[in-house]
Amino acid sequence: MKPKTFEARRQFGYRLMMTPALVLMAAFIVFPALYAFSLSLTDDALLGFAAQESSFVGLRNFERLFTDPLFWNSLKVTLIFVIGSAVIGQFVLGFLSALTLQQPVKYKAIFNAIICLPNAVPEMVVGFLWISMFASGEYGTLNRLVAWFGVEPQQWLYTFPLLSIIIVNTWRGIAFAMILLTSGLSSIPKDLYEAARVDGATDRQIFWRITLPMMMPTIFLYMFISTVTTFAIFGLVYTLSRGGPANSTEILGIYIYNQSFTAFQLGYGAAVAVVSLVVSMLLGILYVRALKVEV
Amino acid sequence: MVSLVREAPMDTCVSGQQAQRRAYVTLVLISLFCLAPFFWVLLAAFDPKASQFLRLPDSLTLAHFHNLLTNESGVRWIMNSVVIIGSATVLTLIFAGLGGYALSRTQAWWKRPLLYAIILVRIVPPPALIVPVYKVMLTLNGWMHGFITGLTDDAALQTTLLRMFSFVDGYLGLILIYTALQLPLAIWIMKTFFDAIPKDYEEAAALDGASQWQTLRYVLIPLALPGFAAAGLFAFINAWGDFLMPLMFTSSPELQTLPLGMFRAFLRVDAIDYGFLTALAVIYTLPAVIAFAFARRFLTQTFSGGVKG
Repeated sequence: MKPKTFEARRQFGYRLMMTPALVLMAAFIVFPALYAFSLSLTDDALLGFAAQESSFVGLRNFERLFTDPLFWNSLKVTLIFVIGSAVIGQFVLGFLSALTLQQPVKYKAIFNAIICLPNAVPEMVVGFLWISMFASGEYGTLNRLVAWFGVEPQQWLYTFPLLSIIIVNTWRGIAFAMILLTSGLSSIPKDLYEAARVDGATDRQIFWRITLPMMMPTIFLYMFISTVTTFAIFGLVYTLSRGGPANSTEILGIYIYNQSFTAFQLGYGAAVAVVSLVVSMLLGILYVRALKVEV
Repeated sequence: MVSLVREAPMDTCVSGQQAQRRAYVTLVLISLFCLAPFFWVLLAAFDPKASQFLRLPDSLTLAHFHNLLTNESGVRWIMNSVVIIGSATVLTLIFAGLGGYALSRTQAWWKRPLLYAIILVRIVPPPALIVPVYKVMLTLNGWMHGFITGLTDDAALQTTLLRMFSFVDGYLGLILIYTALQLPLAIWIMKTFFDAIPKDYEEAAALDGASQWQTLRYVLIPLALPGFAAAGLFAFINAWGDFLMPLMFTSSPELQTLPLGMFRAFLRVDAIDYGFLTALAVIYTLPAVIAFAFARRFLTQTFSGGVKG
């Protein structure tokens, strides 16, 4: 059945053009996301009897989940990781860089490039580089650095595992915060600053009364994007610690992987995935509503 | 690298040298933090006695790079990565170009809901998908195997075809999943760029007797070129740096991409060749850094997925 009018044919053409992209996203993202819900109600497994013939177990996976200390541990670790690296680490250093680069300093392009460099490094290489930084023994790079301040050599990834991955992710994400916040800063009208100066405002007053309030929409956008992307991290932490030692860096993504493909419990892994999906979808819906995204 | 930083709004009121000095100290400290992990990899890659520890080499050598580029597995990992990520990037560009154009031009009722839905699809965390996607891939893989083994009896040809078109432990699966994961952002970018091209151009071309294809080829694609550059660079950087998908879907050593090959070589705790691995890390990182240098200027326009904050 071919549409007849010119306009109808054009609309038909648009739908046709959308199709390949929609099919791929449906097959590999939307359908699997929905499928996770039904898998989470089964005892599906990678090995053994349940792998051949999985059966419906109702909410048993969720009952187990909410009483599993490892799951709560994973949620806690994820929360600390997101707050420590995205909300605090990247934001503070990124904002500091953005503000400082607004001042009349030389070599801006070079500082800019240096701060951007970590952002381009592939996940596996990030892990590789930082394992060397954190290497234990007196020849480890970080140990040599802290030795200047009289600190004994540490086993960083064992003694401070969560702090270590927070530092690594902060390192990786300063650039993102800096670039986004710089674009926010440059959209603040300059007359505001000039007027404030004429009225005799100090730098500190200008920051708290003008810059920060004017930056709120950008800061909100940054917080949303960085929370969502940090929540989805896997490779960066997995290559560094694989969730260890003793589950201390087992963020949600790694917990899903370990439960599903190390402990072979696909149904249970899917239940954890459902929690993760629900959290990120709630964030997404809140965001779309709050920003009234322009289309 | 292009600097986005505009001239300072505060330069009328520099509160003297002290503020200036404080600015430099801040920038130098942050830069040192950013650079610190790179010293080791850059030195060790040229150090004949490379180890896990940072040291100044006694002499410099290119042996590790030579070794890597003549070593069969090193070359294979690079080729696998290039083929898989390259194909995924090209597919992303084609599908996002079509989809972004349609979404920009259509006035249908589904336009707005679809654009919101694409934002939501974009923030689905990949680790949450691994279990169901694994099941989907296994099913597709079963079909594909049935199809290929039915197609030919030639064992060698079968092996080659299986390698290329398998969903699990093959090229096609990774290519398609990377394409799917990069599409939401790419579509938003393309839609935003097509929005900026006035419809009049197309209509003028049509009035001059250009066919639909000619309009596309000579008017739309050239005008949307920056959009394609941005979408392609981001798709490439994201997929190139990913570690999760090869970990999930590759088992044969011949099909390993750079991140997985590196990871597995690094796991052999008793026999880690640091010279080989650091050289590999340098080669693996370089394309991403170059792509990022070009992508940098598009970053502010596109992070929110075309979302204006």
